Amino acid sequence: MSWGERSSYPRAIIHIDGDSFFASCEVMKNPALRGKPVITGRERGIVSACTYEAKARGVTRGMKLSEVRALCPEAVILPSDYETYSILSHRIYAIVRRYTPALEEYSIDECFAELTGTRRMHHGSYEDIAKSIKRDLDCELGMTFSIGLSCTKVLAKIGSKWKKPDGFTALPSQTLAIYRTATSIGKVWGIGAQTAAFLGLHNIHTAEDFAQQSHEWVTAHLTKPTIELWHELNGRLVLELDTTGRATYQSIAKTKTFTPPSRDVGFIFSQLSKNIENACIKLRRWNLQSAEITFFLKTQEFTCSSYTVLLPHPTNIPHDMLKEVEKYFIYIHKPGVLYRATGVTTARLSDAQHIQLDLFGAVNTTQEMQHIFNQVDSVSRRYGKHALFLGSSLIAMKQNQHLNERGDVPARAHPLFKGETTRRRLNIPMIGEV
Amino acid sequence: MYNIYKQKIISFYKRHKRMPGYIEMMSLTGFKSKNAVYKLINKLVEDGVVNKDAQGHITPRTLAGSVPVLGLVEAGFPSPAEEELLDVMDFDEYLTPNKEASYILRVKGDSMIDAGILPGDMVVVERRQSYKPGQIVIANIDNEYTMKYLRRKMDSYYLEPANRKYKPIYPRESFRVEAVVTSVVRKY
Repeated sequence: MSWGERSSYPRAIIHIDGDSFFASCEVMKNPALRGKPVITGRERGIVSACTYEAKARGVTRGMKLSEVRALCPEAVILPSDYETYSILSHRIYAIVRRYTPALEEYSIDECFAELTGTRRMHHGSYEDIAKSIKRDLDCELGMTFSIGLSCTKVLAKIGSKWKKPDGFTALPSQTLAIYRTATSIGKVWGIGAQTAAFLGLHNIHTAEDFAQQSHEWVTAHLTKPTIELWHELNGRLVLELDTTGRATYQSIAKTKTFTPPSRDVGFIFSQLSKNIENACIKLRRWNLQSAEITFFLKTQEFTCSSYTVLLPHPTNIPHDMLKEVEKYFIYIHKPGVLYRATGVTTARLSDAQHIQLDLFGAVNTTQEMQHIFNQVDSVSRRYGKHALFLGSSLIAMKQNQHLNERGDVPARAHPLFKGETTRRRLNIPMIGEV
Repeated sequence: MYNIYKQKIISFYKRHKRMPGYIEMMSLTGFKSKNAVYKLINKLVEDGVVNKDAQGHITPRTLAGSVPVLGLVEAGFPSPAEEELLDVMDFDEYLTPNKEASYILRVKGDSMIDAGILPGDMVVVERRQSYKPGQIVIANIDNEYTMKYLRRKMDSYYLEPANRKYKPIYPRESFRVEAVVTSVVRKY
């Protein structure tokens, strides 16, 4: 670098994106699927992820499986195996952390990492380091990743999308204008349809158009999150990486579809009860309690009816929630209607250590229940989730979530080796038979 | 006898610059029980030879006059799980030292029987950047996994089973090695 020349990477940020991750995991597990249109999401009835072979046939994410079968009859449609996906997701993070501790776990198949200052340690340029990370990921996980390298998160994200699958794109600061010109404004991470339409009115159609606006114009017309994107597109990092991992939740939701759909009120309530139990398990695991819950029923026609209840006191005990839900369930349940899913969202979460006493002693009762559920949780740790569950969830627990052709359980749910159970399996992915 | 025991403890202290623990006292004295050691210590305390603190640790007091007291050293009841257990690993680390690259497969066929890999076994494999002849590998032939020895003759690679019933495989087209077998696990 010579005097007066701007540094290529004032900060070096990479974005790593798994190529059709869920579908790739399935192909990795079963080599016979290689080169075939593979789709996951069978239990949901819609496409969760699909391989590039399926994309080439016009399959898109979120498409109904009935449409997929019409479009691409030879498609292999598989139930999701979230356990394997999660194991591999943790491996992505672990591999990237060999190179840098500054990592943001953005989603199950995406992460940001900062390489600034690591060149001497790794004896190479930022491009070399990023390529080396990609080589490790591709080799050890047996699937491909797309990586973007630039000086901010927004630009790194443009890089990882630039060439997919199996791409590596570096955007040093001298080249930003070229990439921005080729990126329409709506494709920029963080710019939604509304903002894109608004910018379109001002004749801003590409990321370059936007980046070239003056600071005065931007501050006069836009809100803080969009102004941050403007800085980021200009190569000034304002969105720092969140390397803390998930510290807590704003809300915790549990939703489950069941097939066949049902008119049986007892069965539907039991499904809801199971979701509430699951949400409470997660609340307790994160040491949280909820002050407000919303529960909903979804009909076979995909219409939803929901009800929001303010709880008498914050809790993570399913009994407290079910007591309230029982009162209001009849307001949203219509007899004779076919339902396909139930769900619950627990909101207004707070730290479960803070207990506010109430006038009528309900909190005290909850405290006693808390002891019981501490034991329930330790039984679950020993014998697997749902070793103990509520009677109101019994009907839902007794049968598989899906009884027809969607009822295929993922391969991992079968007992595999001596010593494994359906509830507790080895934390190493099984990739077939030889 | 008491004096002999006392002498042994004193010479232990001279040698190690610390007091012996219960177990050590048992071997010094030849006692078969800790209770006997306990009684001996009480005698030593009575005689003013050693002190015993609230936890039962003993410290030297007047070990035969000539012994220089070099400061107090923790003795008596060493906790066994302190430093001694720092340098051990569990099976997880032993079987999968490179966890991110490790996978398992179930053995179906009998083609590796002479290598001691039986149907029903679990094999632990690792995905690596390169593989060497002589390794037992998982190869992908026509999108099917097979487990064989990787061999090399001249410049071409081939796959050799460990069972006389089967012939080596000389793939006509290129094949891909997916992983190397690092261990075999069999539970009874």
